[in-house]
Amino acid sequence: MDNEILFVELNINGELKYLHINKKWTLLHVLREVLNMTGTKYGCGTNDCGACRVLINGEAKNSCVIPAKNLEGKEIITIEGLQDNGSLNTIQKSFVDAGAIQCGFCTPGMIISTSALLKKNPRPSENEIREGLKDNLCRCTGYVKIVEAVKLSSVRLEGSIG
Amino acid sequence: MSDRYTDIKNLEKSFRDKGLKYVGKRIFNRESEMKAAGETIYIDDMRIKGMIYGKILFSPHAHAKIIKIDTKKAEALPGVHAVIHYFNSPHVVYNGAARFYMDSSPMDMPRTEYIFDETVKYVGDRVAAVSADTQKIAEQAVKLIEVEYQDLPSSIDFNKAVVNGSPQANPNGKDGSNICGEWLAYGNATEEETKESIESAEFTFKDTFRTPRVHHGYMEPVCHIADYTREGKLTIWSSCQNVFCFRDVIARALELSQSKVRVIKTVSGGAFGGKLEVMHEVVAGLLSMRSRRPVKLLLNRKETFISTRSRHEAILTVSTGLNRDGKILAQHVESRLNTGAYAGAGPNTVGAQSEKMFVLYNGDKMFYRGASFYSNTPPAGAMRGYGSPQIHAARETHMDRIAVALGIDPVELRKLNVVLPYKNNSLGNNMHNALIKECIETGEKEFNWAKRRKNAGENQSGRYRRGVGMDIAVHGNGWFPVYQDLSTVTIKMNNDGTAVLLTGTHDLGTGSRTIFSQIAGEVLDMSPDLIEIIEADTDITPLDLGAQASRTTYIGGNATILAAANLRTQLLKEASAILKLDDSELIIKDRIISSRNDPQISCSYTEIVASAQAGKYGVQRDLTATESFESVNSVDSYVAVFTELEVDINTGKVRVIEVLPVHNSGKVINPLLFEGQVNGGVHMGLGYALSEEMLIDSETGRIKNPSFGKYKMFRADQMPKITIRTVESPEEAGPFGAKSIGECATDGVAGAIVNAVSHALGNVKLDRIPLTEEYLKSVIIAKVAADIVIEENECE
Repeated sequence: MDNEILFVELNINGELKYLHINKKWTLLHVLREVLNMTGTKYGCGTNDCGACRVLINGEAKNSCVIPAKNLEGKEIITIEGLQDNGSLNTIQKSFVDAGAIQCGFCTPGMIISTSALLKKNPRPSENEIREGLKDNLCRCTGYVKIVEAVKLSSVRLEGSIG
Repeated sequence: MSDRYTDIKNLEKSFRDKGLKYVGKRIFNRESEMKAAGETIYIDDMRIKGMIYGKILFSPHAHAKIIKIDTKKAEALPGVHAVIHYFNSPHVVYNGAARFYMDSSPMDMPRTEYIFDETVKYVGDRVAAVSADTQKIAEQAVKLIEVEYQDLPSSIDFNKAVVNGSPQANPNGKDGSNICGEWLAYGNATEEETKESIESAEFTFKDTFRTPRVHHGYMEPVCHIADYTREGKLTIWSSCQNVFCFRDVIARALELSQSKVRVIKTVSGGAFGGKLEVMHEVVAGLLSMRSRRPVKLLLNRKETFISTRSRHEAILTVSTGLNRDGKILAQHVESRLNTGAYAGAGPNTVGAQSEKMFVLYNGDKMFYRGASFYSNTPPAGAMRGYGSPQIHAARETHMDRIAVALGIDPVELRKLNVVLPYKNNSLGNNMHNALIKECIETGEKEFNWAKRRKNAGENQSGRYRRGVGMDIAVHGNGWFPVYQDLSTVTIKMNNDGTAVLLTGTHDLGTGSRTIFSQIAGEVLDMSPDLIEIIEADTDITPLDLGAQASRTTYIGGNATILAAANLRTQLLKEASAILKLDDSELIIKDRIISSRNDPQISCSYTEIVASAQAGKYGVQRDLTATESFESVNSVDSYVAVFTELEVDINTGKVRVIEVLPVHNSGKVINPLLFEGQVNGGVHMGLGYALSEEMLIDSETGRIKNPSFGKYKMFRADQMPKITIRTVESPEEAGPFGAKSIGECATDGVAGAIVNAVSHALGNVKLDRIPLTEEYLKSVIIAKVAADIVIEENECE
């Protein structure tokens, strides 16, 4: 049945959410339309643009094609969950400082992909950065300052670590 | 106007002389912290109490008459509020691309659209729409609408549409043809004289070039929200580029007075011209009127590809006659643009394209002829460049073919023929500070043109072939002189000495709000972050003609200077009364006005505002200033684009290594934002040159690739190195010397790429874009076959 309603527990940004959802609903739908967390964007709905990216157990995934019902027990982090005690975190701040944000619609997804990339590879080469961002489309920036933002994030994060 | 104009130029000079504080600085886009946090509210993020959802039924037919619509089942579905279609809607003709007074000219903006019409004219045209409690119910409801169609003959393929005698795609075509509006034909000589001069020249060249229909590919899908209330007021939120035009068109289509329609621009998730024209706002509005509820109408990505706007597909033929030295004697361009099912901006885009004919090259005889044509395909419309990318791709590849044939370096051929600063062009217009020659020379040096061109040319064996190419392009700054251009800005002082600036302009993520805060901050000596910028709301902000024609910084920036200068004068006058000093003895620094001789004698903006409101030295008054700027100069921005790339001759795949554009945009107000525009323009130009095309089935009229998976925009790993250079000599007419960048950033990219690919493949003729792998493979195979024939002939 299309309209079958399920009860799920989702761990989103460290908080457990208890939800009644349609079994067909995507994580993106649940975030935006049920939880009113609109930082994650609908860009295509077909797994092509990366505007809806979130971290699932640390991996950047397109939430527009993932059924929410499959995510119980997993750690979901959205753009809203990246802030550092209410302030922009290092990656977010680096996107601002590098001038990497124009219309900003791809930005949350880009920042999510950057978070996953830098966690795996704290000092990526330019090619590795570009490879890490290739599933995120941007129409404003030519990716130039986004790549610079990732480099800046890497320097700042590595500097703060050690 | 002229006195005020001189006054602001003198004021600008005084700031330049003492050193600019905010103009020219790398200040990040003021919207970026909110955007980085994911807290910016774009239109799809808006939640209005009682909001329901709209859905449109789109035509599956390229051209058909609607015989009957049965909505009973849809209306019976629980949760459905309203169902609207041709048989129950206002039937007022309009043009969604209308631009105010230009609207009155049938030549420019023929009215051919309705909310719903009796015939559908492309796959994706509107048939009906519903509103319902949820998106899901709305989607189910449109599927329950039963429509009986009668197929009509169609012209889908553009080659067919332009031929006389083909079926009319739209009954407004001229004299039974598909011509939209009229042919536009003019030059500095007659067409016959121009053609004769070309044919009798020592060297004559003629090339036909095709450019594709492409989509803006903005990341934010099209979305509108409408809220019609009992008092008869319709509020429309739209991620758009021209609120005042939208108000006029929506009021007309829905038969409301303009005072009862309010259009509010939302934060833009990308537009690039694609949100300049009224699209489905009228449907959202009518659904809200019928439902008496706020209605959100969000297109999914597929719908955003098939039922919005796109760049005009084009076929251009360029003919040039030259003497032995490579001097252009005469040039003729004939252009056909595919406007799709409705007139929209078709004839107007032809007009904008025609201007580019005359402001880049000089020749004794220059003539342009162009028209747009209807076809049963999605409507074209404004897209970054507006006729310019097409003519530049065609003419610049033609110029390179000439250079090769005459054995002249492409750089030299262009230097020989370009317009010169402060000289008249072929039409007798002063070219202002047109520094295209300096752009070419700068690029030649910075790119190491001669060496790289030579190296690539010498290395023409093996699988990977290097090519080095360049081209040049031009773009305007606003509508003037074709139409009068106007913008009004209001600045209000707050009680604490900060300010609010109201403008009808639209920030599309370009950073125009940041730019205006820098300009106003400079004039008022106030940190830009203390100036709030309120934009584009028809009931609140003053008039502007929209984010189009690369006019925002140039026109809006000048209006900002006028308003800020007015306010500055008022502040000085009040300070003069407070301090009992002549205003010539006063200086302003960081919102404090003091005696030039004794800094202790001073008053703050806060004190000045309080004094004015209390009426201590005259009538009680609020310190505000409103000024209109009307453009009186036609100036152009220029670019020379240099590129190096590599072609895999086995696959036809092109890898672009570097793009180096040299821009003449006058004084750059904010280099960080400027670079963002250039980088994005290069990205869009690369897609145009190599990978992007909306593919339409010529039988059914369906778009074959309406997704980001199949419509290929460049991704991060495909982008070349971009090196930006500028020739920054100020343009006197621009605000602080600035000229436009938004469109010029993309206009010249495709031509340079084609020229470099041609160079890589031994100067092979390329007559279309995009240069897909498939197309290049066919060119390479033909070239190899031809070379073998040549070799065989040589052996004999």
